[in-house]
Amino acid sequence: MDAENRAHLAALAGFDHMTTSRLVALLSGRAPIEAYAMASGCAAPSAPVAGIFRRSKDLGARWKASAAAIDPGAMEARCADLGVRVLVPEDAEWPPQLMCDPRRPAVLFAQGDPDVLDGRRVGIVGTRNPTRRGAQSAARFGSELATAGVRVVSGLALGVDGAAHRGALAADGAPPIAVVANGHDQPYPRQHRSLWMQVAEAGVVLSEWPPGTRPEPFRFPQRNRILAALSELVVVVESRERGGSLITAREAAERGVDVFAVPGPIDQRSSVGTNRLLEDGATPVASTDTLLVALGLDHRRAGRRRFDARALPRGDEAVVMDLCRSEPQSVESVAIALDWELAHAAMALARLERSGWLGESGGWFEEVDEYAELAE
Amino acid sequence: MFAAIPSAVILGARGHPVTVEVHVGSGLPGFHVVGLPDESIRESRDRVRAAVMSSEAKWPNDKITVNLAPSQQRKSGSGLDLAIAIGVLVASEQIPLDAVHDMAFIGELGLDGSTRAVPGVAPMAGVSTAGELVVPVANGHEAWIVCEGQVRPVAHLRELIAVLGEERAPWPDHDLTVADSDDGPHPDLADVVGQPLARRALEIAAAGGHHCLFVGPPGSGKTMLAARLPGLLPDLDREQALEVTMIHSAAGIPLPPGGLVTHPPYRSPHHTSSEASIVGGGSHSLRPGEISIAHCGILFMDELPEYHPRVIDTIRQPLEEGEVRVSRAAHHTTIPSRFQLVAAMNPCPCGEGGRPGGCDCGEARVARYAGRVSGPLLDRFDLRVRVHRPDVDDLLSGERGESTAVVAERVRAARWRAEQRQGAVNADLSPLELDSVAPLAPDALAVLRFEMDKGRLSGRGYHRIRRVARTIADLDDDPPDVIGEEAITLALDMRASIGPLRAGTVAA
Repeated sequence: MDAENRAHLAALAGFDHMTTSRLVALLSGRAPIEAYAMASGCAAPSAPVAGIFRRSKDLGARWKASAAAIDPGAMEARCADLGVRVLVPEDAEWPPQLMCDPRRPAVLFAQGDPDVLDGRRVGIVGTRNPTRRGAQSAARFGSELATAGVRVVSGLALGVDGAAHRGALAADGAPPIAVVANGHDQPYPRQHRSLWMQVAEAGVVLSEWPPGTRPEPFRFPQRNRILAALSELVVVVESRERGGSLITAREAAERGVDVFAVPGPIDQRSSVGTNRLLEDGATPVASTDTLLVALGLDHRRAGRRRFDARALPRGDEAVVMDLCRSEPQSVESVAIALDWELAHAAMALARLERSGWLGESGGWFEEVDEYAELAE
Repeated sequence: MFAAIPSAVILGARGHPVTVEVHVGSGLPGFHVVGLPDESIRESRDRVRAAVMSSEAKWPNDKITVNLAPSQQRKSGSGLDLAIAIGVLVASEQIPLDAVHDMAFIGELGLDGSTRAVPGVAPMAGVSTAGELVVPVANGHEAWIVCEGQVRPVAHLRELIAVLGEERAPWPDHDLTVADSDDGPHPDLADVVGQPLARRALEIAAAGGHHCLFVGPPGSGKTMLAARLPGLLPDLDREQALEVTMIHSAAGIPLPPGGLVTHPPYRSPHHTSSEASIVGGGSHSLRPGEISIAHCGILFMDELPEYHPRVIDTIRQPLEEGEVRVSRAAHHTTIPSRFQLVAAMNPCPCGEGGRPGGCDCGEARVARYAGRVSGPLLDRFDLRVRVHRPDVDDLLSGERGESTAVVAERVRAARWRAEQRQGAVNADLSPLELDSVAPLAPDALAVLRFEMDKGRLSGRGYHRIRRVARTIADLDDDPPDVIGEEAITLALDMRASIGPLRAGTVAA
């Protein structure tokens, strides 16, 4: 496809209220320049496109306004500024997994090196608000998989996604892959701006939408299907009863991608979704070895544990540490469980926290492992 | 003819003496009230006229002028009815002038001549210098508590005419006992199951007078805990009791059977309450607001972030100064409001944000929720305690915790120690005083240094921690002079950060 057509395709994808199916209808059997003309009202619409216009009343006006606002040339320059490449299915870099996808995107915007898509890939997803243990697990999987040469695919969201990416980046192994739901000009969430840049630097950040697209809520489930399609298997670390990660799991299952879930305490809200996935037949996963075996890789090459400099807790502190390993504890729960004075329990917890074995948030103390700094 | 009858009006929680001057003279028959009366006083013309005629007295068919002196001060309320009626009767020579010598009158009249209670009789009686004070029966006991002269309760204007008029009847003998107000026994701390940290925090709050914020999911017992704080506090001393009684009287709150408010009041205004109802003001008499009614007691603000931000903001100054200055265009007053603030809030809008992984709210939503409580107010809470839902096993065990009586005894001892040491509760300790009364042991200092190095403890937080630690130490059977690691650690556990859990926790 020539540069002009590519520019028109990028601009067209950025039209107001553009969806994958509308884009596919516009592009069916014609070059992007013609589709662009049709969308902006300069050419007579084909029957399916006329149907689209008929179904949503003011779409014609919106697209006309978009065409006036988005100049293909400017869009091309913008993509070039951001280092974003416009990929179409006929390109060599187009991921083969997306070639025959039931809801194949019409175009992909790639920041970074799209070649890194070629390799073993595992998707790691989960809630935006995990427990410390969940975030640490995600970082551990990310790090150990990347060390073993497996690319980590995730969504750059807060919580589990971010932890997985950070783990993968820290391992300095296989390049990370991120699939996002908005344009590359405004990294989202803002807290992950630098993480986004690092992933784009070391691997690739993919989006179905061009620069200028805002992270609207409806785009996230759509993004999840691409994430699922690009993964050879998907690991859900923690998820509540409803959550984007369950959508990813469903999309994965529809595509025949194996779903793995990390089991959690049955009364922990952030594990309700994952536990339900396990009931529904997902494979439980507790260590990276399980994933490597599932990929047919030699798990003995899995990454070694990171060096741990903390002095081992002793005496009362060891007892409290054991409690905290099983589930989050508060000063009260420790005092009740061990029948200790409140101050005694508080001191043991505070000392463990100061020596780095426990992390506190909202009055709850959780175990900190060697992946903690990557999890936050 | 002319008569001048002493009475009083109320402004805020203070009485102000007023002289009701009545002139009955020739002219077109009429009844005029001058001297900046407000609408409620102007209405008293009709009440007084009907009451006098119902009491078998004659209404003079002349021009009646009533002046309320001092005449530049705006007056409000129905408490001047009785004085106006007596003034009219004296000026029309139905009651001899010398019969009302050295007498003051406060009270509202019904159309049938019966007397009705008015709010604020206690402070009004307090400023009366007359030898005898006539009040409605229903106000008799509160006038009696503060009045230096003789209190003469009357039930009907007719009684008064009989006593003061030619009949020279003896003063009627009315029973002053009043119906029980709803001030039943305090709820007992033994009802709180488990939750040792929250119970301890309550004990510390009671012993040190620290403002306390409970943060926890719905159903964790925040309201239940707060309601048990008054029971832990010692009774008010005579001076405080008088002050509180004055305010309650002015606010029209039913007084306890003895007349004197002796228990620390407990007020829990709803979060939709208006600014005027919380702070005071609202009418010409500038009624005391909830923060003044809670004077020497507890103000409990449930669902703190749900209050209007302006309400939250306006209670900051009274918290600092112990009194509130209510000003309106024409008049202003200062009302005491030295209260202990206890508040409760959810950790986040969904309420589940206590336990890790439990919350559904986005970070921005949590930040917005927490942001509704201004930082400066948050800073006033020495104690910010995370309350967790009690364990199911604890709830079912049927085991009861320590009772209010046991804990109150420890609180009393700790308060006594603080009183002996610095003559005030620990919450009032200044940083300078803290250095001398709460020196830190080396291990405690190391803990605080660590927290400060980590950026989790600010300079102000440092003083608050020491204050609370001093109270924790005072609650010991054998209180140490030097604050150790134990007390400091516990104090730190009661400084929960408010806001998004993972990102950027606010320094305590």
